Amino acid sequence: MSCRHIRNILLKEWALLFTDPNSAFVVTLLPFLIVGQVILYIWLAFRFGAEGMLSAPVFQTALQKLVAALPGVGQLPGEEQVLVLLLSQVNFFLLLIPTMIAMSVATFSIVDEKLSGSLEALLATPVKTRDLLLGKALAGAIPALVVTWISAGVFLLVVWALGWAEFIGFVVTARWFLTLFLLTPAVAVLSFMLGVAGSSRAKDARGAQNIALVIIFPVFALIGIQITGIVWFTPLLILALALAIVIAAFVSLRAAVRLFRRESIVVQWR
Amino acid sequence: MAIIETFGLSRHFGKTAAVEDLNLAVEAGEVLGFLGPNGAGKTTTIRMLAGMIAPTKGHAIVAGHRTERNVEQLHELIGMLTQTPGLYDRLSARRNLEYFASFYPSIDSKSQVEKYLKLIGLWKRCNDKVGTFSKGMKQRLALVRALVHEPRVLFLDEPTAGLDPEAAGEVRQLIRTLREEGRTIFLSTHNLNEAEMLCNRIAVLHTRLLALDTPEQLRRRFFRRQIIVQMETLDAKVTEAVKKLAFVQEVREEGSQLILELTDSERNRPELVKAIVEAGGRVIGVSEKQYPLEEVYLRLIREESGNEL
Repeated sequence: MSCRHIRNILLKEWALLFTDPNSAFVVTLLPFLIVGQVILYIWLAFRFGAEGMLSAPVFQTALQKLVAALPGVGQLPGEEQVLVLLLSQVNFFLLLIPTMIAMSVATFSIVDEKLSGSLEALLATPVKTRDLLLGKALAGAIPALVVTWISAGVFLLVVWALGWAEFIGFVVTARWFLTLFLLTPAVAVLSFMLGVAGSSRAKDARGAQNIALVIIFPVFALIGIQITGIVWFTPLLILALALAIVIAAFVSLRAAVRLFRRESIVVQWR
Repeated sequence: MAIIETFGLSRHFGKTAAVEDLNLAVEAGEVLGFLGPNGAGKTTTIRMLAGMIAPTKGHAIVAGHRTERNVEQLHELIGMLTQTPGLYDRLSARRNLEYFASFYPSIDSKSQVEKYLKLIGLWKRCNDKVGTFSKGMKQRLALVRALVHEPRVLFLDEPTAGLDPEAAGEVRQLIRTLREEGRTIFLSTHNLNEAEMLCNRIAVLHTRLLALDTPEQLRRRFFRRQIIVQMETLDAKVTEAVKKLAFVQEVREEGSQLILELTDSERNRPELVKAIVEAGGRVIGVSEKQYPLEEVYLRLIREESGNEL
């Protein structure tokens, strides 16, 4: 592995990423739209749906697990318990940001180069497939990660501005930090790795996007599991999950390198 | 010493043979023109020689390396211009070159990029985005991208295809400069004039190698050397005098020209002119009949296809 090559690929990808208005929009504005929407839903649910949610068995299970994890929440009125439950799910919603950016950016990363003919020229240099794929994945994952962290900060600011500052202590817990600084980077790298791998196998941009759809399903599943309280992600569980995703990212890099058939790319993309 | 050698090099795609049993050797410093119709296997050959695809049979040695082994090492020694420029339109010319140059460990990429941008006359526009460049400028830039690491062998796949005459001329001038520098160039082209202008030898490929020689020797294969004597007026006396010369093998009249085949077309010329003048003829000029390389090429291809004229 050549760190110099990976760095060069990163810098080139960033130069291309931020000179393309579509990609720049996806990376810079989409995250804030997601956070804005999540906050809007939470506000609406709290204002108009908290009572109904309290009586729904699915939320009761989740609330019980929340109170078991954070006994202080049990002292709050029912509606506020629902609000804390919703706010404490946001760290999982934030996982959507790197996965959606990966779907939009990573899936085109190889296909675009195939279409423009630059990939064949690139493959005629001494660049290793592993460096190329890792460079491209990190080039997307790093800005996606940074923007996710900024979005998390923005979220907390909005929570404070909405007059819910007293609940921040229930949200910013060990779970919050582990999700944000361990699980999110792992998910970001895995998403981009899968996106780049899909892009290298796809025959066109549409095909690449179809392949990329599979990236987002596990994240939706994770959010669903969390919000329904089927499994309550304790810090230990988040740690284990992050480790599993790091291993999956490593395995996917190896698989992507094996699946990256230079010969077919060169022959089939003329 | 051969810097490119192929030994029964073949490549099949399924049941279709793209290249079959190719045996050739290219000397260091030589410019080899690689001609052939569409689908003849030119690009496939270049890709095999550049280690981009593996042969199904046979092997090739380029700059001392087996092309299917140690591909990364091979890529440090060769440069390749692909059919499409394949540049990043949103990046500047300098940034494009620096990016590709950065993969070669042994060069100072900044100074190399500056040197080559100056060579192709794009230094003043080095910070402009490539998307704003003309086709010819892009092609020149792509060509120096293949050169920026000072490769021992340069593979050029149809470098002037799709360019207007002016842009094609600029690219050819650049190739001429490289030839003068003594670089080994493997040039695939459809343009026969270009091949003749730039190449020491020409290989004609149609899945198999049909011919490999200098343009002159290729002509000899199909056409005998003929001398054209342009006269002020053609007189029967002159023709008779010429026919009597021992070294004249064949004489034909065409308007005010005499078309002759001589035993030795170089050495016999002074004697020929002398005989014509002594017979009262007035000579305007003596030249050798030039058969276009295109005719040689078409004959080779038709022969291979079994449609000999």
